[in-house]
Amino acid sequence: MIGRQNSIPVQDQPASSFRESRARTLIVKVGLLLFFVVVALRLVQIQVIDAAKYREKAERQYESRVDLPALRGKIVDRNQRQLVTNMMFVSFAADPKIIGDRASELAERFAQVFDKPKSQYLEKINLETRRFVYLERRVSPQYEKRINAASFEGLVVKDEPRRLYPYDHVAGQLLGFTDVDNKGLSGIELQLDTLLRGRNGYVIMQRDAIGRRRPSVDYPRIEPINGNTAELTIDIEYQAIAEEELRKGVERNKAESGLAIMLDPATGEVLAMANYPSINPGDPASAGPAAARNRVVTDMFEPGSTFKLVTAAAALERHLVQPDQKFNAEQGEYVVRLPNGKVRNKITDTHKYNVLTFREAIEFSSNIVMAKVSDIVGAEALYTTARNFGFGTECGIELPGEIRGELKKPTQWSGTTLNAMAYGYEVGVTPLQIATAYAAVANGGVLMKPFIVRQIVSPEGEVLHVTRPEVVRRVVSQATAHTLTQFLRGVVERGTGTLAAMKGIPLAGKTGTARKFADGRYIEGSYIASFVGFFPADNPAVVCLVMLDNPNDHSYVGGLVSAPIFKAIAEKVYAVSPRFARTQAVAGNAAVVPDVVTVKLDAAKELLVAQGFEVTTEGNGTVVMHQSPAAGTKERRGTTVTLSTASAPAAVKGYTDVPDLRGLPIRRAVNRLSLQHLDAAVSGSGIVASQFPAPGELVKTGTRIALRCEPRALTMVTLY
Amino acid sequence: MRQVRNHIDLVLFLAVLALMVMSLGVVYSASSTYSMVKWNESGRLLERHLIKVGAGIVAIFIFMQIDYRVYRKLTKPALIVAIVLLLVTLALGGELKGASRWLRFGGFGFQPSEFAKYALLFHLCVLITDKKKRIEDFTTGFLPMLIWIVPVTALVLAQPNFSNGAMIFTMSIVLLFIGRAKLLHIAGTLGACVPVLGLVMLMAPYRMQRILSYLGGSGAAGKIHYQLDQAIIGFGNGGVFGLGLGGSRQRELFLPESYGDFVFSIVGEEWGLIGALLTMFVFLLIMLRGLKIAKHAPDDLGRILAFAITTSITLYALVNAGVTLGILPTTGLPMPFVSYGGSSIFFTSIAVGVLLNISMQTDLYPRLAGTPDSIRPIEPVRAAAAGRVS
Repeated sequence: MIGRQNSIPVQDQPASSFRESRARTLIVKVGLLLFFVVVALRLVQIQVIDAAKYREKAERQYESRVDLPALRGKIVDRNQRQLVTNMMFVSFAADPKIIGDRASELAERFAQVFDKPKSQYLEKINLETRRFVYLERRVSPQYEKRINAASFEGLVVKDEPRRLYPYDHVAGQLLGFTDVDNKGLSGIELQLDTLLRGRNGYVIMQRDAIGRRRPSVDYPRIEPINGNTAELTIDIEYQAIAEEELRKGVERNKAESGLAIMLDPATGEVLAMANYPSINPGDPASAGPAAARNRVVTDMFEPGSTFKLVTAAAALERHLVQPDQKFNAEQGEYVVRLPNGKVRNKITDTHKYNVLTFREAIEFSSNIVMAKVSDIVGAEALYTTARNFGFGTECGIELPGEIRGELKKPTQWSGTTLNAMAYGYEVGVTPLQIATAYAAVANGGVLMKPFIVRQIVSPEGEVLHVTRPEVVRRVVSQATAHTLTQFLRGVVERGTGTLAAMKGIPLAGKTGTARKFADGRYIEGSYIASFVGFFPADNPAVVCLVMLDNPNDHSYVGGLVSAPIFKAIAEKVYAVSPRFARTQAVAGNAAVVPDVVTVKLDAAKELLVAQGFEVTTEGNGTVVMHQSPAAGTKERRGTTVTLSTASAPAAVKGYTDVPDLRGLPIRRAVNRLSLQHLDAAVSGSGIVASQFPAPGELVKTGTRIALRCEPRALTMVTLY
Repeated sequence: MRQVRNHIDLVLFLAVLALMVMSLGVVYSASSTYSMVKWNESGRLLERHLIKVGAGIVAIFIFMQIDYRVYRKLTKPALIVAIVLLLVTLALGGELKGASRWLRFGGFGFQPSEFAKYALLFHLCVLITDKKKRIEDFTTGFLPMLIWIVPVTALVLAQPNFSNGAMIFTMSIVLLFIGRAKLLHIAGTLGACVPVLGLVMLMAPYRMQRILSYLGGSGAAGKIHYQLDQAIIGFGNGGVFGLGLGGSRQRELFLPESYGDFVFSIVGEEWGLIGALLTMFVFLLIMLRGLKIAKHAPDDLGRILAFAITTSITLYALVNAGVTLGILPTTGLPMPFVSYGGSSIFFTSIAVGVLLNISMQTDLYPRLAGTPDSIRPIEPVRAAAAGRVS
């Protein structure tokens, strides 16, 4: 039986329309098939060709890294007083997705605790597309309890340590400051950033099925490594005194700014480095960007009369001028003529003198006489002496932004340069250069490299780096240094610097007044007034420089403006510091015994004699193998240092003590080891950053000592 | 008055069954944690899905038995009911994510638009069959059909359910095309749509966003972009072999409601390229079998009905896949049989039932000789028999 069939379509319709129907069906069919192909190709593209890209994207959103912040290292002064330390803060962040419908409750809680409008928080939590929004940043940890953070799934509490500066603005420019992420931006914080920073640890968190974060079992928890402690050579008491007196001095003299430096001449240690106006590193934004500069190293000045030291040193060292040699002081006005009789330039003195001895010319700061001395000394000698004192080169101190000043070579000099430089013009110096030059005189003629980082200590207390005092060179003979010191004492006793004189403390110093040079010309009525000196003059313990920029009240002269500030600083420092009692126990001059082991005997002798030590030798070798007293100890000048060219005596036969090699260049370190029949395994290059076994350990001869070396720059010494 | 009964197209039936079975696994995987969080019972949504799949299979078996010719008289009243339901939905429809698409009877919700879609398509098939050549005439052929298409489309659009409205309209146009309507008429209709489309866009800014999002725009479209990005990440994360059943990591917070319109992404993530291609292959199989049934259908109505059902299922699957893969603008269409969603599964099952009934009446799958109802599918016999009856 056949069902109802109203029509028999095939026969019903003309063949043409049937064909058309078939054709149209085919078009739709082909269209759909093409669509299938496109989908398949797209699937292949996403799941095969670009799969890695998407998989990585996926991983990123399933796993999140939660940093465990490392504590940034402390900065302490030479007496372990904490200059910079950390305070713990917390930040609150929310994962809006997980907070979900508790958003209102959470916002309410925050609004209550922080006393802010609820809508502010609600707005943040409702950012649905974000998985992490900060609600509050860097607030006191006590809020964590008040919020009851644990009761909210999806509320993240992050520990955030923040820098704390217990001395507020004291040493602000020197210490520098950090950004919100605790990264050093200026000063020591910047210079030693890699050492102080430490390394953040982290845990990988995985989201479980409903998005809660759990520590992942696939990845270990990486503990943070806290930063190292940097011990500075600074004495915060000196620093505070310098800054306070500087503030008073700047205010009293209506100066634009002022700066002061104190150095230990025997070692080159910076005891204080002050800038006023000061800046509080805890709140750097409150002061202008200019205030953040540590102008002791970043700015260049024409020194004026303080530079006469160099001229005098050049003359005395070469025995070209005798201290009592008389000069015509030209009644305060000296016209320099060219050979053809034309006036080249005019040199003037503030005070008019008829005749002055060389010594008096320093004491009373005669430009005219110094110009005449320079004619005797000559360009080459003046240049060389200036260069030897360290002018025109960076001191190499561990501070960012140090400039080298400007000391032109004689070939670049104009007709006036020789005379002008003799009294401190046409030469650009940093305050630190002036201070180190005077320190060289105070140190018996030996220039020490100034430094400010004493040592770096790991969080576990291991000393990772010690800065050893470094002799740069002998600049002048001890005799010349002595004569110069006498000159400088005269300045204070009867010359331009009498206002700096202190009761009972012999002081050597020099005043300086220089016209301020800016934008290519001297500014009328604008001066740099300075005083630099050292005390006690017979056994210098501190070199100090005070410099005021544009004093504008009763006077602009260094002797009247800066000398009293110097005096105030020196007296207070003397009063507070037990270190003078110590240094005075060592009668006469004292110096640090340099490290001469592995140095050739001749060179070692020269170095020690330059420092004022006597030398005796033992053995008949050519290389120093042992020295006594040991390197780094402070000894009175004239002390006999015994140099032995024989091997260091081994305490037990076949055993030897491991020497301290840290801070030595590789070659010297290896030489030193070979002296004690030890092998070296060196990794890295530069200077020895760490060693194993540790110094002082007793090992068998022939033991291999592992030396890890790092490039010389201190900041590169990474320590893990 | 008995219909000719051969075997059903078993391949088609098994293909649909395979999709349904697969959907159980995928929907369970995609919905379990959601269910866990919401009802503390991981299988809650699966249970609901299972009921609907079960109902779908029952519907297939019931509608398979009903001669498709009976719809000839039913489509018009059904379409009128559908329009009334759409109007009711519009008037008091429950709010679901900004769109009133649902009607609720007791515990059951259902989408009248799914019903309306098939009612309209079936009725268009009947009209096309009846009008035959007259379709080429605008006033007596083309316009009467437009008069049904326009209100249904408009009501679905007004819900607002842009995607389903657009699909209903597209399917209608495809049917008119197949029914040999004049290309000029079709082109004119499409041309008239442009200003309407613009108006609809302006009325609902979120559609604009979707389109902008598709075109690579940014701004407010970010959230939509996000969902699509996550869907694609899911595919990529699955790679060739997939993460295994239940292994999807995208489904939870990154791909909201993945068991619904984005279920294909979960297929791609858990079953990999292989699973995704296999799924598309099953749809391809359904299309090929369906078109074959259409070709061999005993009459015009069967032919056009089979074609309409097949094309509808295939097009929905392709558009859904295209959306999930970022080829097409984001819409809210389910993947037939695979997505969680009762109305779609139920009505599509009915359609498959009808399709199987048509397949039963072709000469493609003859019963074995000797069985009582068998006929020899030889054209002269059929013709002769027909001749006798008429």
